Amino acid sequence: MSKDFWLNEEILVLGGGSWGSVLANLAAPQVKSVKLWVRTEEHARQINSTRGNARYFKKMTLPSNITAVADLDRAFESEVKAIVWALPSSVSRVIAKRVTQFLKGDEILIHATKGVEQGSLKRISEVLEEEMPIARIGVLSGPNLAAEISQGKPAATVVASKFDEVIRAGKRLLQNPKFKVEHSNDMIGVEWAGTLKNVLAIAAGALESAELGWNARSVLMAEGLSEMVRFGEAMGAEKDTFLGLAGIGDLLATCTPLSRNYRVGLGLGQNKNLDQILSELGSTAEGVATARHVAEFSRDRQIKMPITDAVDLLIQNKIKASELLGFLS
Amino acid sequence: MEDSKEKEINSEKNSPSIRKPSSVKDSFQSDSHPLIQHEQVPIVKGELFSLNKKRKKIVSRVVRTTQQNFQNHRLEFLLAEALYQERKRMKKIKPLNLAYLSNWTRHTQDRKLWRSVQSDLMKKSTEVDRKQILNRVLKTYSNEIAGHFNPTVYQFATRFVPWCFSWILNAASLKRFLPWGMTESLEQKLIIDGEIDHLQKLSKQGTILILPTHQSNVDSILIGYVIYLMRLPPFAYGAGINLFTNPIFSLFMNSLGAYKVDREKQNPIYKQALKNYSAEILQNQIHSIFYPGGGRSRSGAIESKLKLGLMGTGLSAQIENYKHHREHPNVYMVPMTTSYDFVLEAPSLVEQYLGEIGQHLFMGSSHEDAPPLIKLGNFFWKLFSGQGKITVRLGKPMDVFGNFVDDQGRSIGPNGTLIDPRSWLTTLGRLDHESQRDQEYTRRLGQKVVDRFHAENTVLCSHLVAFAYFMALRRKYRSFTVFQLLRLNREQRTLPYSTFMNSVEHCFQKVRALSDRGELFLSKEFSHQSMTAWVAYGMQQVGRLHEAKILKKEGESVTSEDLSTLYYYRNRLAGYGISILGHQGRAKRLRGEIDEQGFLA
Repeated sequence: MSKDFWLNEEILVLGGGSWGSVLANLAAPQVKSVKLWVRTEEHARQINSTRGNARYFKKMTLPSNITAVADLDRAFESEVKAIVWALPSSVSRVIAKRVTQFLKGDEILIHATKGVEQGSLKRISEVLEEEMPIARIGVLSGPNLAAEISQGKPAATVVASKFDEVIRAGKRLLQNPKFKVEHSNDMIGVEWAGTLKNVLAIAAGALESAELGWNARSVLMAEGLSEMVRFGEAMGAEKDTFLGLAGIGDLLATCTPLSRNYRVGLGLGQNKNLDQILSELGSTAEGVATARHVAEFSRDRQIKMPITDAVDLLIQNKIKASELLGFLS
Repeated sequence: MEDSKEKEINSEKNSPSIRKPSSVKDSFQSDSHPLIQHEQVPIVKGELFSLNKKRKKIVSRVVRTTQQNFQNHRLEFLLAEALYQERKRMKKIKPLNLAYLSNWTRHTQDRKLWRSVQSDLMKKSTEVDRKQILNRVLKTYSNEIAGHFNPTVYQFATRFVPWCFSWILNAASLKRFLPWGMTESLEQKLIIDGEIDHLQKLSKQGTILILPTHQSNVDSILIGYVIYLMRLPPFAYGAGINLFTNPIFSLFMNSLGAYKVDREKQNPIYKQALKNYSAEILQNQIHSIFYPGGGRSRSGAIESKLKLGLMGTGLSAQIENYKHHREHPNVYMVPMTTSYDFVLEAPSLVEQYLGEIGQHLFMGSSHEDAPPLIKLGNFFWKLFSGQGKITVRLGKPMDVFGNFVDDQGRSIGPNGTLIDPRSWLTTLGRLDHESQRDQEYTRRLGQKVVDRFHAENTVLCSHLVAFAYFMALRRKYRSFTVFQLLRLNREQRTLPYSTFMNSVEHCFQKVRALSDRGELFLSKEFSHQSMTAWVAYGMQQVGRLHEAKILKKEGESVTSEDLSTLYYYRNRLAGYGISILGHQGRAKRLRGEIDEQGFLA
């Protein structure tokens, strides 16, 4: 029964950015239909008429069972059994509040947001649980550069949840021969790994600009990973998670020019002003705010985070990129 | 001098001008809830009254369900495992002491059962059907676990217990010199507050499962009486089998719907049968109680690790209720906290705790645990005469997932949404048991109950002074572990009164902030007296009838004759993260964790 179950159901992807549309694309063959919720009518019209998401990808074609919509009433018009959450962390709480009224309680939700709520440092799954009357929530994270997956290049990811049925649904909905879905029960670890690596990506970009070489980059990766583990364990995560796809896997993928955070680092290394970098980027880079909040928090709790501290200072223009590694001791 | 101080406190306590009505919603605990009247209240009949009639059916259903639970198991291995564990357990029983003799029938029955299981397991499975062996074991277990209910005994108990309580209270109070014309009554000693009206309503809309904190052997009697005072029908409850060996306890237990829990029996067959019994009576809409922490708290701290097995029976009962389309399918979870100034068993309990975590680091003198029968009278005497007050609080009711419920028993989700529990129990379009999902729900419920225990806890002056004293000692001996601190000699542990008071003030600020945030309750003495007065009151009350004076003022200094026991009372404020190293190195120290120096954080 379970195998056919999803083939007769509709699912909803919230967020029509690069990652959201790739996830919708992955799920489409496994279900009856997919609704893709985007912010503006114009964007929805454009997706529906061109069967693509030209804003992000020139070549990707969306299957016919994906319908983009811009208002939530339409998104929940027919019964939705699974929700894929692909929204930036900064809007998670606001949108969750709006979505609440449409939920029945038996929905499975998998979020693919790499970041935490700024200020409270709550993980996105915590935010969603606080705002929505559903229990079965999971997270998806891994070395998943959306552009590559849209071109059909192979990748793998982790779906983590305390509920095995969420993991099973994640596998069933998203896995295909070129996209492997692994499972984990360590939500805390997977969510924090996806968040913390953004800070290290900024550092990696800055080191690249400063032309400090491969050795320095490797020192950064190694020290950065142990810093991630240290923080993760303090938050209640399991160490092993950081040695898997969601940890080191994602870290390696993010410290490349395809990543936004890495490009922020590149800019900072060239002594550009942060506002200027962000406006050139045209979208958010989660690592900037994460660095500030995590640095503050870990100082308060006496968790040693030298790289994050340095990135925080770099963003504030208090040190130069070449000084980043001087803080390692 | 102490007596005159007590007069002062008592007169303040009873002065009508400063007594706040319970309806005043502030962060401080008032007197008992207006619905509680300490008088003879009419007995409310409930499902438990028909337990004897249903007993046979319940027992056979437990046998059947448990057998079904094991249908995919290799019975050969299951029985062998149980046999092994049972033999190991029975070997540990020391023959010919008092406990053995009073349990003689039970031990003989167990021995006979497992001897026959062993000899049957030696035979081929074609000769002796394994299912039948399991059936035999289950029948014995189910009959042992299942309780009885006798309405006459219940009626008697509701009269006898308060009479007994009052008699002890008044007889005991003669020892002290109360102002003329004033007698101590149960009303002043037993404060009951919390969600009583809510609970009364829910008891008609579903099945209630009360989850109390557990500190003392008298909790069961106290809770039974509190339920009666709340005008609720009697509850079934799981009671440790050792309580049944005491003839007086056993008379009541056997007739008041208690079911026997033998914590020594750790084999999977027994555990499953026990869970199924609990689920079965919940399905029969018999309100129940069990201690989610298992036994009494050893450290004195509020329970932080719960036995989830039994707690999960609420969820499975609710699923069964849906499947059978029962009219009132919901099971409600109600945490309940009890605050004592004095726990008779404290010295022996805390020694067990410290011995366990400290091993060679801890040297204790051996205190005896549960009082033998001869001391029972003395036990009650001490318990009641030794209390300033006992405060019981009924917490906010929750559904089987840990969501709060409203007056109509509906589950409340975030942002004012209503949750239909059926939807949370539906997987791939089907409402049924789903073991991993249900375990996770129960784990979350457990966390929620732990949080609510802390939030619904009433902090007494005695707890705060004990905590503050330790805080001051730790400030003085910063690098010391808990075991080093407990070994301080008399001189080293004596602190100037002013240092102690500074620490009290500091702790009070923290506790007050927690209370403002709704994370705990403060007993009303804190708000109705000056700090000097409530500190004196707290110091006088904290463990007041232990042989050693566990906290006392000597001239201008404060000292303790028994730090371990004082640590027990101090621990009532552990779990809030307010101790010195509460947060260091960690994002959030979990309840029940110890800090780097071994103190409960």
